[in-house]
Amino acid sequence: MPLVGKDIPNDSAAGHVSGQSVFLNDVVPARNELLVDFLGSPVAHGRIKSVDLSAASVIPGVVALLTHRDIPGNNRFGSVMKDEHLLADETVEYVGDPIVLIVAETRAAIEAAKRSVLLDIEELPPIFSIDDALATGSFIGVQRVIERGNATTALATAERRLHGCLVTGGQDHFYFESQTAIAEPGEFGRMTVHSSTQHPTETQQVVAEILGVPFNHVIVICKRMGGAFGGKETQAAAPAAMAALAAAKTRRPCRIALSKDQDMCCTGKRHPFQSRWSVGFDESGRITALSLDLYANAGCACDVSPGILERAMLHSDNAYYIPNFRVTGRLCRTNLPSNTAFRGFGGPQGVANIENILEEIALHLCKDAVDVRQLNCYGIEERNITPYGQRVDNNTLPALFVQLRQSSEYDRRQQEIEKFNRASCTHVRGLSMTAVKFGISFTKKMLNQANALVNIYTDGSVMVSTGGTEMGQGLNTRLRQIVADELGVGFDAVIVAPTSTDKNNNTSPTAASTGTDLNGAAAVDACRKLRERLADFAAPLLANPQTGIPLSAGKLRFEDGVVSDSSSPERQITFQELVARAYEARINLGERGFYATQGIDYNRDTGKGTPFLYFTNGVAASEVEIDRFTGELKVRRVDVLIDAGQCINPGIDRGQLSGGFMQGLGWVTTEELKYSSRGELLSHSPTTYKIPNIGDLPEVFNLGFLVNPDNSVNLLRSKALGEPPLLLAISVWTAAKRAVSFVNPAAASRLSLPATGETLLLAMEQPQSKPAVAR
Amino acid sequence: MRDHIILYVNGQRRELRGATVFQSLSDYLRNDLRLTGTKVVCSEGDCGSCTVLLGCPRNGLVQYHSVCSCVQFVFQADGCHVVTIEGLGCDSDLDPVQAALVQHQGTQCGFCTPGIVMSIHALLESDPVLTEQRLRQGLVGNLCRCTGYEPIMRAGLQVDGSRTMRMNHLFNSPALLDELTLCRDQPVCLESAGKIFFKPSEIADAASFKAVHPDCVIVSGGTDLGVQANKGVREITTVLSTAALAELSELRIGDDEILAGANVSIAALESAATEALPEYAALLIRFGSPQIKNVATLGGNIANGSPIGDTMPALFVLNAEIELSGVKGSRRVNINDFYTGYKKTVAAADELISQVSIPRLGSGEILKLFKVSKRQDLDISTFSAAIWLKVSGRFIQDVRIAYGGVAPTIVRLPATEVYLKGRSISSETFESAREVALSEISPISDVRGSAEYRNMLAANVLRKLYYELNANQAQASTA
Repeated sequence: MPLVGKDIPNDSAAGHVSGQSVFLNDVVPARNELLVDFLGSPVAHGRIKSVDLSAASVIPGVVALLTHRDIPGNNRFGSVMKDEHLLADETVEYVGDPIVLIVAETRAAIEAAKRSVLLDIEELPPIFSIDDALATGSFIGVQRVIERGNATTALATAERRLHGCLVTGGQDHFYFESQTAIAEPGEFGRMTVHSSTQHPTETQQVVAEILGVPFNHVIVICKRMGGAFGGKETQAAAPAAMAALAAAKTRRPCRIALSKDQDMCCTGKRHPFQSRWSVGFDESGRITALSLDLYANAGCACDVSPGILERAMLHSDNAYYIPNFRVTGRLCRTNLPSNTAFRGFGGPQGVANIENILEEIALHLCKDAVDVRQLNCYGIEERNITPYGQRVDNNTLPALFVQLRQSSEYDRRQQEIEKFNRASCTHVRGLSMTAVKFGISFTKKMLNQANALVNIYTDGSVMVSTGGTEMGQGLNTRLRQIVADELGVGFDAVIVAPTSTDKNNNTSPTAASTGTDLNGAAAVDACRKLRERLADFAAPLLANPQTGIPLSAGKLRFEDGVVSDSSSPERQITFQELVARAYEARINLGERGFYATQGIDYNRDTGKGTPFLYFTNGVAASEVEIDRFTGELKVRRVDVLIDAGQCINPGIDRGQLSGGFMQGLGWVTTEELKYSSRGELLSHSPTTYKIPNIGDLPEVFNLGFLVNPDNSVNLLRSKALGEPPLLLAISVWTAAKRAVSFVNPAAASRLSLPATGETLLLAMEQPQSKPAVAR
Repeated sequence: MRDHIILYVNGQRRELRGATVFQSLSDYLRNDLRLTGTKVVCSEGDCGSCTVLLGCPRNGLVQYHSVCSCVQFVFQADGCHVVTIEGLGCDSDLDPVQAALVQHQGTQCGFCTPGIVMSIHALLESDPVLTEQRLRQGLVGNLCRCTGYEPIMRAGLQVDGSRTMRMNHLFNSPALLDELTLCRDQPVCLESAGKIFFKPSEIADAASFKAVHPDCVIVSGGTDLGVQANKGVREITTVLSTAALAELSELRIGDDEILAGANVSIAALESAATEALPEYAALLIRFGSPQIKNVATLGGNIANGSPIGDTMPALFVLNAEIELSGVKGSRRVNINDFYTGYKKTVAAADELISQVSIPRLGSGEILKLFKVSKRQDLDISTFSAAIWLKVSGRFIQDVRIAYGGVAPTIVRLPATEVYLKGRSISSETFESAREVALSEISPISDVRGSAEYRNMLAANVLRKLYYELNANQAQASTA
């Protein structure tokens, strides 16, 4: 019986529920282990004039105080541009920017040292907002453009036009396990770093460059993460390098484990965006032209911001065909921690924008918003080319709209809501349906590769390792299912080894929803090579004893722990016996697989190409109720329908659906980053930063999968599901917008995201004026 | 007097002295005992990852409730049995709660999971039937960033509570029960490296200690002090614990008042108020998580004097009285006269809060309480309001209004009260009252909300009150 397609529990679940799973900070400290922490900048922007360590250095328990001068290698790193420093040298770029690394025996000594270091910093004028960055011309990189047709001319001749600006906020990852690393110094300048990282290879490279040693001197290991969501793609590297630097200097094992407050204050977030838009459309609501200017607040450094901006631009069409299209994108450099990858990677900001515009068109024309969406939806045979030139294949979007509109009873409920809103003085409701068409593949072509190592031991047990990391998303469980099926053994016969750069080199981050697609495909490649070798060896063993005619190796089946030919099932050998005999016969029982996604290419200078292997599509309908006196919002009902191809593990996929949606719900409603005028994050713990809790679970929450066996381009006809569900929560925001529009249409069109209670009440209570957007 | 503390952890007896007693319970479990299944994320009792069960002897049984071990000091566990995730058994033999979470994919990264298991067990301790409502309230203090809660809810609803072991069966030890019962009311005094922990069993001893150590910190539930200690805001050196003062734990419901000892937990108060003062009970549901409500006390909330303390506005409009006990005896103070400024009170150096008298509602009296926060559940108020009315037909005979979150203390709105008194319950009355209320307050902007928002809430709450008083009329009057 195949394991792929079965709802098998997360393979760490038993350990998680019994408290036996070991996370990095649960590891028993070595006897001589030291703690590492850093002193960050108290100001958002400044020039360091002096750092006086004399008082701190004599504190009992303080073992080392390290500055940029102590870095043997290169202090500069960054995955796109080398514009980040591990320890500030000349300038500090944000509040909390690390200046001094403190290495000590105890937490108390660290805290005392933090109070005793004397910093003399000359403050420089900081920039925090996109508006300030635009005013002063503070950018990172060049402006990017994706264009088709002529949006300017088409806008000028459009029957109707609207324009506006959508402001979307940042979001903290709020992974439960804060950034953590343990470094163990080895012989001859070598270093082993255990890191909670989505990207062991980049962490390895940054550590090596900081230490000034070749990459092969550093091994980075990640067994599991307590959540990541993109926040440990690039930003796990700095803490790992801090631990490694401290370990290299002290020759003792060193551990860094940030507190939640410190982690939230010092690490990057989802990029806040400003999207200035103009849309032209006809009387029916069909879009004829769209012009967008996207500005992202990238924080103080580049990080992977160009990719995030690019994905926002590539998702500005979302599920809708727009004949004349122009989107520009710019990254603003500000004095905040460098913003970084976060589930969706710019996609949510792009999609929120077009979904907002469609809602505006519907309100403007007094039409149903789903009618308008279906009118503009990508077609099957025509109107199916994206602005960047990729054809939308295996397009399930029209079917998804039809099916969910019916199953969620959208039309009946919309009528009921109209009636309710006319009758109620105390509450107002809104119902809205939005879509997602999420492109799967790294838009940086190079990253779409993976390798896998599969070892079979002589007792028939199997160990697989890839560059993919486990952060709770279930990659390891899926890999076990895939490998077990390929070799025809049971789930328990396969285990996944901790991710480690000495087993799998030059790996890509576990990101962009591609973890299973890439690493699973590489593992399949390794398994097929092994199976071929074993089949060649088995065929003569299973020869007909009378005739001596061997079985055809190509026809041998590996199933249920047995290797056999269906035409002569009595002749069979167990997998276990086969591998034992293969070993005796000196046959290689280990294999390395490789996978590189074919058929993708994207030219960011021309804004044209086929960046994605396929699209994961979905729709969601959300209904909200808002208290007209307080702005408090309640999600009454959510219906989600997603095309996940053929699920490798329906249970795990379902968890991605509910988890992604609720994370998106937080982004669009209660999660708000508040800063002081000096650029200090004020909402830096769960007391003030409100991620959804169980009380926010919609009263009715229907999760459904569209049956789609036709995604032949991807591994086992599956579709990636890590990020797309998050974007479906935008329907909650558009529902809130719709509700506000019943009370104050003009304010509704200016609504920002997140729609906190405060934002909603202020919008509803704004003095009524006629919509300022029509022209 | 005992010079050490005694606690049990997962059935094992522990006798503790010295600095270890002053650390957080979670640090003790994780670092000293290496019970690392208990996770620490926020260190402020707001995420629930560190949830453990605390068993206290009561009526011949050990009664278990959930607590956030990150905001409990080890000394608070004196005379208690701490059960951690490791105490439930090992991974080869999952209990029904654990098995359901595995089967329904109720765990992804796993960091929050031990806390969730412990919170579900806490629910089962009081009632083996898990409903959606109970799970929503029982898990409100357990954040999860991965699953979106839906799989956890499904798992919880599948748990057969009748098949789940209760802690009194899992740890069926007469020795444990006997010793904890004995320890419970014993006085303790422990000194270590300049730190003092004093747990008297007589109020007079507490008052004398406080007179000698005016800077001592009184620890009752300790949930706020725990945060302050963890975040480096305050060092806990001289501790006066009220835990063994038996009369402070008394809770009596009279015909006219609820008499709650200062040590009565918010959970116990909520339960008592369900019948005696339902509007107050409804507000206390939103006070915080079970983990916090199980240990946080009314006395602690009052002593803390926060302008956003959820228990407070109602006490102001009900004219609750605070009993202060000191060296020379006790006295009662109306809560409206208790505070003299931000976190400043009329209590003398030797006095501590011993009891609170909360008047119940008489005939014609109405109490309306409002709490507005960014997130509906488990969030600190941006704004809160309590309004007490005595009505006769359509007329307001008397009214008292208190707002939280608009000033450094809870404030009454005397001008608005005067305006409303004697008027009829009508839209016009409350629309005008909005203007009066706004003239009486000047809130500030902070991380929880802008001044503009708070002003809107302060005005709108009177409109909301009107509609609530006229729920029926409101429906009829809509076009």
